[in-house]
Amino acid sequence: MESSILSWLIFLPVIGIVFVLAAPGRYARSITWLFTFAVFLLSCTLFDPFLRSWAFDGPYGTNMHFEQIVEWINVGGFHINWHVGIDGISFPLIILTTLITWLSAWASWGFDKWKINRSPKGYFALFLLLETGVLGTFAALDFFLFYIFWEVMLLPMYFLIGVWGGPRKEYAAIKFFLYTLAGSVLMLIALLAMYFASADVTGTGTFSLIEYATHPEIAKEFNNPARLFLGWPFAKVMFVMLFIGFMIKVPIFPFHTWLPDAHVEAPTPISMILAGILLKLGAYGFLRVCYPIFPSAAVWAAYFLAVLGLVNIIYGALCCLAQSDFKRLVAYSSISHMGYVLLGIAVMTTVGFQGAMFQILAHGISSPMCFFLVGVIYDRAHHRDINRFGGLWLSMPRYGSLATLGFFASLGLPGLCGFIGEIWVLLGTFSAPWPWAKPVAVIAAFGVVLTAGYILWMIQRVYLGKLRKEYASYPDATARETAILIPMAALAIFMGILPSYTFDLMNGTLADVLDVLQPAITAAQDVVIAMGG
Amino acid sequence: MDHQYESLLAIGVLIPLIGFVILALFGHRFGKPYASYVAFAAIVISCILATWVLVGWHGTGDAARDELTKNAYRYHWGSMGDISIDVGVKLDSLTVIMFFMVTFVSSCIFFFSIGYMEGHSDEIDGQSKYHRFFCYFSLFAFSMLGLVVSSSLLFLFIFWELVGLCSYLLIGFYFDKKFASDAAIKAFVTNRVGDFGFIIGLAMVVLYLGTFDLDEAARNFSTDFYAGTGIFASSINLFGWQVSGMTLATLMGIGLFCGAMGKSAQFPLHVWLPDAMAGPTPVSALIHAATMVAAGVYLVARVFRLLTPDAQFFVAVIGCITLTITALIAIVQTDIKKVLAYSTLSQLGYMIFGLGVGAWVAALFHLMTHAFFKAMLFLCSGQVIEGCHHEQHITKMGGLRKKMPFTCWTFFVGVLAIAGFGIPWTHAGLGGFFSKDEILAVAYERTYNWHDTDAPSESHSATSEPPSVKAVSAPHQTHPPSETPEQHAGSIQPVRHAGSTAFTEGGSDDGIHGGTDDAHGGDHHATGTPKKTGIAATLPALPKWMFYLPIIIAYVTPFYMMRCWWLTFCGKPRDKHVYDHAHENWKMFVPLVVLAVGTVFCSYYVFRPLIHHAASGEMGATHTPAIVAFDGTAKTIADAGDKMMMTLTHDEGKDPHHALIGLVGFAWIIGIGIAWLIYRNGLAVGKRITQIWPISWCHRALVQKLYFDHVYDNVLVGGTIVLGAVAYLFDKIVVDGLVNLTAAFGRVIGIFTGRQLDMPVERYDIGLVDAIANGIARVAMGIGTVARRPQSGRIRTYVLIATGSVAVVLAAALIAGAAD
Repeated sequence: MESSILSWLIFLPVIGIVFVLAAPGRYARSITWLFTFAVFLLSCTLFDPFLRSWAFDGPYGTNMHFEQIVEWINVGGFHINWHVGIDGISFPLIILTTLITWLSAWASWGFDKWKINRSPKGYFALFLLLETGVLGTFAALDFFLFYIFWEVMLLPMYFLIGVWGGPRKEYAAIKFFLYTLAGSVLMLIALLAMYFASADVTGTGTFSLIEYATHPEIAKEFNNPARLFLGWPFAKVMFVMLFIGFMIKVPIFPFHTWLPDAHVEAPTPISMILAGILLKLGAYGFLRVCYPIFPSAAVWAAYFLAVLGLVNIIYGALCCLAQSDFKRLVAYSSISHMGYVLLGIAVMTTVGFQGAMFQILAHGISSPMCFFLVGVIYDRAHHRDINRFGGLWLSMPRYGSLATLGFFASLGLPGLCGFIGEIWVLLGTFSAPWPWAKPVAVIAAFGVVLTAGYILWMIQRVYLGKLRKEYASYPDATARETAILIPMAALAIFMGILPSYTFDLMNGTLADVLDVLQPAITAAQDVVIAMGG
Repeated sequence: MDHQYESLLAIGVLIPLIGFVILALFGHRFGKPYASYVAFAAIVISCILATWVLVGWHGTGDAARDELTKNAYRYHWGSMGDISIDVGVKLDSLTVIMFFMVTFVSSCIFFFSIGYMEGHSDEIDGQSKYHRFFCYFSLFAFSMLGLVVSSSLLFLFIFWELVGLCSYLLIGFYFDKKFASDAAIKAFVTNRVGDFGFIIGLAMVVLYLGTFDLDEAARNFSTDFYAGTGIFASSINLFGWQVSGMTLATLMGIGLFCGAMGKSAQFPLHVWLPDAMAGPTPVSALIHAATMVAAGVYLVARVFRLLTPDAQFFVAVIGCITLTITALIAIVQTDIKKVLAYSTLSQLGYMIFGLGVGAWVAALFHLMTHAFFKAMLFLCSGQVIEGCHHEQHITKMGGLRKKMPFTCWTFFVGVLAIAGFGIPWTHAGLGGFFSKDEILAVAYERTYNWHDTDAPSESHSATSEPPSVKAVSAPHQTHPPSETPEQHAGSIQPVRHAGSTAFTEGGSDDGIHGGTDDAHGGDHHATGTPKKTGIAATLPALPKWMFYLPIIIAYVTPFYMMRCWWLTFCGKPRDKHVYDHAHENWKMFVPLVVLAVGTVFCSYYVFRPLIHHAASGEMGATHTPAIVAFDGTAKTIADAGDKMMMTLTHDEGKDPHHALIGLVGFAWIIGIGIAWLIYRNGLAVGKRITQIWPISWCHRALVQKLYFDHVYDNVLVGGTIVLGAVAYLFDKIVVDGLVNLTAAFGRVIGIFTGRQLDMPVERYDIGLVDAIANGIARVAMGIGTVARRPQSGRIRTYVLIATGSVAVVLAAALIAGAAD
């Protein structure tokens, strides 16, 4: 099914940039709002095939929707296509992106009142460019295209933090940039190596992510243990390089320290996008690139990845306990929550995959909400020291109630979105066929205690207690702030109460990916059984 | 009509939710007192539905009930992998009575709250949060009812957490007070520790039994049990260590029980409940006495069929420890609510202990009776606190009998009920007497007659009566039911007949014990000595301390309750201000009277038979490996077949209840009497006693609550926070340090290549390339250097390095590729 709707979707924000730059600066925010909203509406038209029973018929890669392939560059033997399409992994993330971007655009409404409010045109143009980059990355099925969009996304973020950020913005921005760039470099190497490896098999190389995974010859050659790259097995080296590239983005311990700095310095809407969407790109990379293309390496690395996920969960939660900066706390809680994503993916069970994907979306809803909640008080108090707050629920009752909801969603309270992802991942891990799976699940389950600890302690210090004089006059959440919070709150409840509607959008594709992985998993199991384990 | 009852129950669950939504969105517009009417109306409608169902269910025959249970509708909520998650109403006798109990007690307490909040501050730091109180109450009612009706373990867990949330919100209702929000956090986090175990147990159920549905899980469990496979393999590989003597099934049971330990505040997670008294008194009555804390007991009863005898023993040990230490702490408490809190803990311990020894019916019966009298006691204390101008210390009260007679005497009914008031050799007594007595009777049998299948011996009986004995049969694959003839002897009877009719004539004596209509008495006892087969034979009898501790505590309970009542209502007023202020409010004593009447009459005759039916239905449907005891006989158990089941006989001379009369029959009067002797003239005697040496030492330890809080606060909480700080320092110094070091290294290289090799910036820079170029230029062309400065950005250098390294690696890759 050839369709250009995805291309329109990707480039609609670019058209917005033209308007933003052409119109006077004071209109920039309205134009951005309109365009991000238009993108959101346009993305909602993509729902149609995913609600139908045949949406996921056929093996992995054959059920891409809204696919479009146009030859783009054909130079010196390089065939690079404009190849976009979406399936159950990318589609929910695209909806998430358009929604959160729109809400963040709305959250940027108070731009004029920011401390650093120079060049609204520049800010909003970069903001729209960022959306293009993210949407392109999610939609791209050509690895080269994927890489380009990945880089496109990087630059606006660098400037958005570096120009409009807080006091240590340069440090944070450079750290963010270098970290991500380091990942990009690894990805670039893998990109080229994979291209040439595929060329060895088919004669003319390909950049297609789908063909890498499904073309029998290519898949065989990629996972051929005899094929070496710089003396090491090709699949393992590629997997590790790509994985490091993506794990920086997620971020996974020990490459996570850019995240708290970036969040603390970034303006609120940018934090929302960073936590809600950009972190998901890394996890999406695992699911789209690492796992289906290198199943053998995925099985080989499963234990280490699960342990890394576990470290993220526990270590992130412990770090949260030590925070006094509100935003840094939410940033570390993101690290903790993204650990569940990695853990669920690493165990490679159906339930684990479903849980990881759900957790991606749940965190995509709850973390922007938390960051926005922090932003709301920051706008009023101009500081984020948890210990200096107190009794905010009294001066801002509506805001306080929504904040409680948001943070409880993050805590993983049943009935809200965070719970489903967590419990799915934990049960998926526990039931995984690996000998190490159960202890890992048990330790990971202990994360729920720590999570409750740091969230409730934070709520106590910020929202409960006696109302302090300096905060008594704060106005409650404005209509705009409430309007931004309500969709996220509603989604958090909806996904928590009726998760199957969300699962239905993605389970088919996740099962397809697992089918691709299954032979490697089975082989590994046979080894385990043969060893008497 | 088929789904009439479950629909009614489902509606009954949802109505408080509607109340909650209305109050959450528009509550602040209703104001005081109209917001409370919404919540009250909602719970009363639920209660009416529950009564309707209860009456209808009472009138339904056993067969029809089983049919309804079996055909209950299930809604497909979602799937986890291949496992379907269905939600529905688990329609059985236990659900029906629990539902009725929760709605009835809630209605009383909601009504009480309206009066309570009139006199109490609904203000938090000057702002009225009246509607929020009732909003949370409605949410709680919804969650608790959802918990009761859930047919799926996952949904049970979801509602489980929601009641925890409500508890958190309500304990911290006066959140401007630090101790209130501290207590709220403590409650939630302690519960989460229990939930950690629950999640593990849940994961094991899902993995090994392949379902979330309680009934299906129990069926699969018993299948595995009889096959001796899967999780019943005798040794397990636990994280790489071979552990023998413990099965995975036992671990699973203990995991699930951990959840109950959190919610029902069992040792060692009991510390949150006394602190939870920081909430308003109606909250303590509803959540922390009658319903939510009983949810743990309810959970154990629900997953009872998933417990192995070992897990059951663990449950019993925990229950026994809890009921002992908390009762001892209760003796020294001076805050009226704290006394009640510790007595709640102790009674919960009795229930858990009862489940542990197999007294399923008795434990749940105790849950029901306890809900009534403990809710009443808390409401009385609320009345007292309210009347005494927020004074909670019984040391400052005294003589309030004249000022608040209704409260005084309803409280006394509660004291009698919890003390186990009953007149030996008759059927006269309060609900608490029957339920506690039955738990102890089962414990007695488990202690003394478990293995004593042959010759009844008189030596161990505390009374001179011959012990009633006997056998327990157990399931074992080598003894399929059909091969073994029925043998029953004595009071503990093996029920191992598929298709046997041994019990069918057992009569319908599912009522009072001690009756003379013990139809199965002589018929079956003489049929010979049953073989002690399988697991039951390998199980030791209950250790004696686990029988005697509850007995001793049965003397302690009336003591501390009487102490509390006497110091509050009798004697001389110790604080004039408090005494002068004391008054009663009719809105508050109406529910007291209702609950008192319930305590006296309702519980035994309404609940007991239904719980008994629930037991036979629940245990009869599956071959549970857990040990279950029945009092009297149960006719439907005849269909149950092969399982570890014991039946308490009412045979003359063999009845364990008779043995107990000598041990605890007069405990209530003795305990009350001692308390009266010590406190009849005020505090002086008590004070003198506590100064005697070993007692003073114990007294201090008990006042400090046996130092649990100290240890937890300093070691666990403090340790975690220190660990967090260490983790963060590690993050800042090591991880981030490495990052910055790498960056600094890159920067040094950049500066070196940029300034020393490439182009000078400062005077002392070498700028090798530049120098060479300049030199060449100077020499060859004779042109002066053009002053240039590099761009200030470090980024450029980094990008250069990055791109350069890509080029190098690429080149290497290409060369390697070419070499292949």
